[in-house]
Parts: sequence; structure tokens; C-alpha cells
Amino acid sequence: MSRLKKENLTRADGSVIQMGQAPLGVRIKKYIPFYFMFLPVLIFAIVFYYIPMFGISLSFTEYKGVKDPVFNGLENFRKMFSMPGFWAAFKNTLFLSTVKLLMNTFMAVALSLLLNEISNLHFKKITQTVVYLPHFMSWVVTASVFGMILAPSQVGLVNNLLTQMGVLQQGSEIYFLGDQKWWTPIYFIINIWKDTGWGTIIYMATLTSIAPELYEAASIDGATRWQQLRFVTMPALYNTIITVLILNLAKVMNLFESVFVLQNNAVIRQSDVLQTYIYTQTFNSGALPNYGYTTAVGLVKSLVGCALVLICNYASKKVRGRGIV
Amino acid sequence: MNRKKLTTGDVLVYAGVILISLLIIIPLYKVLIDSLDLRTAYGMKLWPEKFGLDGYISVFTNPTLYEPFRISVVTTVIGTLVALTLSTLGAYVLIQWDMPGRNFFANLLLFTMIFNGGMIPTFLVVKELGLYNNLGSVILVPAMNVYNLVLMRNFFESIPHSLFEAADIDGASPMTIFAKIVLPLSKAALASIGLMFLVAYWNDYTNFKIYITNSDFYNFQMKLRSIILGSDLPTASGSATANTVQNAAIITAILPFMVIYPFAQKYFVTGLNIGAVKE
Repeated sequence: MSRLKKENLTRADGSVIQMGQAPLGVRIKKYIPFYFMFLPVLIFAIVFYYIPMFGISLSFTEYKGVKDPVFNGLENFRKMFSMPGFWAAFKNTLFLSTVKLLMNTFMAVALSLLLNEISNLHFKKITQTVVYLPHFMSWVVTASVFGMILAPSQVGLVNNLLTQMGVLQQGSEIYFLGDQKWWTPIYFIINIWKDTGWGTIIYMATLTSIAPELYEAASIDGATRWQQLRFVTMPALYNTIITVLILNLAKVMNLFESVFVLQNNAVIRQSDVLQTYIYTQTFNSGALPNYGYTTAVGLVKSLVGCALVLICNYASKKVRGRGIV
Repeated sequence: MNRKKLTTGDVLVYAGVILISLLIIIPLYKVLIDSLDLRTAYGMKLWPEKFGLDGYISVFTNPTLYEPFRISVVTTVIGTLVALTLSTLGAYVLIQWDMPGRNFFANLLLFTMIFNGGMIPTFLVVKELGLYNNLGSVILVPAMNVYNLVLMRNFFESIPHSLFEAADIDGASPMTIFAKIVLPLSKAALASIGLMFLVAYWNDYTNFKIYITNSDFYNFQMKLRSIILGSDLPTASGSATANTVQNAAIITAILPFMVIYPFAQKYFVTGLNIGAVKE
């Protein structure tokens, strides 16, 4: 084993790594302690990621609760594709997560442009502290807060205000989170509330990296503030926006907790997504859990998710020269 | 840029930012004020109508609420330690460029970001391990986070390679280098990724919902959820109304975070920026 690789790699810090300077056996021996250090990581990866991957074979079985799985071919998939509940969840997953992504991105960009125009640093700092805050609230807390604010009685702040303004009569309060018309817009509003502030960080980082000379040159040329925004700031932000969209598009199938804590039986048609569908079909169906069927739904979800990651990875390589995984 | 005069544009910008900040803070402020108000409050108040701490007293003197709080603390502390150990060990091994199999290990981890078995197969494995209705599940399952491991590796890569070589020549073992050089030089990374884990464990609801059905093992988020859904309202102490107790429970759930937030904010921001902007 004395074959040497010719090419050397240059590290990010400029030092050069000589590849294959020692025979494989010697190198393995040298790194034995590292293999031991990696062992816990390896065990976790195998137990919690790789063994479950083999569990996917359950999607071709009938496996109800205590009885052993019995092979039943594509029966689960046939059943799934004939279920209106599945298709509703599939469509809702895509719709809710992409619209949410677009809205959150738009709001975050708008807010960071506003923040960027603020010259009083102290004021800016306080504002940032406030707007980041909801990001750290759990979804349970968020759902609880909005459950109170949107309560369908005079206790609910929104209904109370609407009554004060004369829009509503006392006694005809709106049940925002349990109304088929209202649930979807409210879901987007709550998401905007929670993540707009945190979303600004990445845009603020880009905005501060724009050379001040560009603005000076623009204002010497007589550009108004609006024109500076349009021709200097926005083009700089463009790449960041695309990056954020690509990175998040890869994750749209994972939508779960935000929907789960905000949905209820009255709005299941509007709110059910694949993950909540899998959860309720397995654990809340009232019958024995049909693991075979819900594993099959999970497999479809994972495959679509996988395709999205690969598409986004490809798009990312095209747009910014490096992948996302 | 010399804007000495306040222009109309400035006024609009400040007005917009103040409006957005108010919209973000009002829901939380409403809950805070109501949690301190012994009457059920209607509409927006700047200050409680009838101030009293009875809502919080009901929360903290009630064993069915105290116990979930304790479980939250335990799972958060242990979980964060396990998760940080895994991320730092994994990241340290992944920066060993010359190590045979390094690429294989890296790909093994990265593949889990592309494809996974899904909720049910993972649940069945956890159940098979005897971790169903056992706090081990909610500690161990989220401990392995490939995204954070990669983030940590990015931090570690910025440590000058010559430091490792010098220590190696001095005869330091890999574990010594890890403990004496890598970790001390990565305090900011440890703080920022550690805080991310801390918040994730404290806020965890999904894993509890999947793996824990025995209410003796509920964490505070699970408990809060059942209080808010009204199925599990604790008896109000003193003159607090049910509404006051619910609001107090919400504030209690975010209290630990609010205490660390002023000091921790910059680390959260660093973590995000390194992750996104690196390379």
C-alpha cells in the first residue's frame, strides 16, 4: 500500500494538506482514537436514523398494533390514494408551507429595509430585541397566547376591540381558530408574528455588508432615497432572498408542530397536513394504530421531501455555486 | 450619509418600525398584564385593574404544575449536555482531513438530512428500545442534530491547523487536543449552539407528544397545552380567576428564557450568521 495521491488540498485558512502521505494502515492506526470518538455519533445515527429507514418496509404490510406485520403489497398505497383526507393533507402541506414561506420572506425583507434606514443605533437595538422575541416562544406558548387573544368571547382581545369599534355585536363574536373561513389567514398571520423579526437577521447581515461608497456615489448622482433603495439595496439583497427561499423550500414537507397546536376538529379540512395526518391516524384514530398505513404515508412524504431537497440542491448549485447539503 | 434634518421619510420609517414592534409585543404584553390581574380583564389595559400574584401562586404551589416544570428542567439540562457532546465529538472527527473514512462518515450524516424513515418507523424503534413513556426518548431522540453538528464543524474549521500540529508534535493525544485546544477556542460556538439546544429542549412538544402518554412524565409545554385546552385547569388559589391562572401559566413557560435572553441574544445571532453566511 504505497500508492500516493498526487493532489494536495488547500484548506480555508490557507494551509496545505498533503493527501495520502502515509500508507492507509498507518493512517488508520494513527486515527484509532478518533474512530472511538466518533462511535457515539455513529450509534445515534444508526439507531435513530438508519434503523428507522429499514422500518419503511412496513409500508408494504398490514401492521395493526399488537399483531405481527403481514405483507400486503401495495394495498396501503392504493388505500392512501383513494382517501380524500390524504389528498387534502398533501395539498395543505404544500400550500400552507409555501405561502407561509413567501409571506414570511416578504415581511422579513420589508422590516429589514425599514430597520436599515434607522440611524439611531440605540433605538435599532431595542427594536431588534423586541422583534426577535417571538421566535423563541414555543409553538405551544404561541398557540396559547393567540388562543387567549382570539378567544371567541369578550375575553378575547380582538373580539373585544371589534365590538368596541362597532364591527361586531356582543354575542356574535368570531371563533377565529375554529372557523373554516378564518383559520388559514390567521395561521399565516401568527407565523408572520412569530418569525418576521428573526428572519431579518440574515438580511441585515447582507445590508450591512453593502459598501457605503455605493450610496455616496448614488446620492452624488442625485438618486433619491427611494431610488437608492431600488437600485443599490434591492439588487444586493436579491441573492440572499433566493438563498433563503431555496433553503426553506427544501423543508416544506416537514410542517408539523405549528399546525398541530393551532388546528382543531372544526377546521381539519383546511389545516390537516401530512405530518398531522400521520399523527392523528396513528395515535388518535380511536382504533388500533395502523402502523403499516401511516408508515406508507410517511414514505410518500419523505420521498417528496427528498425530491425537493435534491431540486433545491441543484438550484442552489446553479444560483450560488454550492449545494445545501 | 448626512441626514441632519428629520425628513418625512424618516418619520414614516420610525412610525412603521414602532407600529410593527407594537404589534409584536402587544399579544405578549396582554398575557403578562392579565396574568397579574385578579379580575378577568377585558380589552387592552396598560396595567392590571386589580393587581395580585395569586395566578403565579396557584402555578407554583400546585404539584401537578411544579412536577412538569422540574421535568422540563431535567430533560433540558441533560439533553443539552448529550447533544453538545455528540455535536462537538462529531464535528472534531469531521475536521480530520487525513482520516481514512472521514468522507464516508460525513456522507452518512448528511444523507439523514435528505431522507429519513419518518415519524412512525422512528417511533417503533424507540418503542422497541423500551423508551416509550420513558424520558430517555425525549432526551436522546433530538440529541443528534446533523444541522448543528455541521454548524459546529464550520466553527472548528476556522481554528488554525498549525495549533493541532504543534500539539501533536508535543505528544498530546487527540482527546487532549480536543479538550485543551478545540473546546477552549470555541467558547462562542459552544455558547451559541448550546443555547439553540437549550431552547429546543425547553420548547419541545412534538417529541413528548409522540413518545410520552403518561401524564406523570409531561414537561411544562405538555402541561401548559392541557391547561389552555381547559381539560386540566388547576384550582385557582386565593382570588385568582381561571383566566388569570391560564395567563400566569403561559408567562411561567417563557420565564426561564426571558431571564437568559438579554445575555444570550448576541450568541443566537452569531450562530445563525455563521451557519448561513459561512463560505
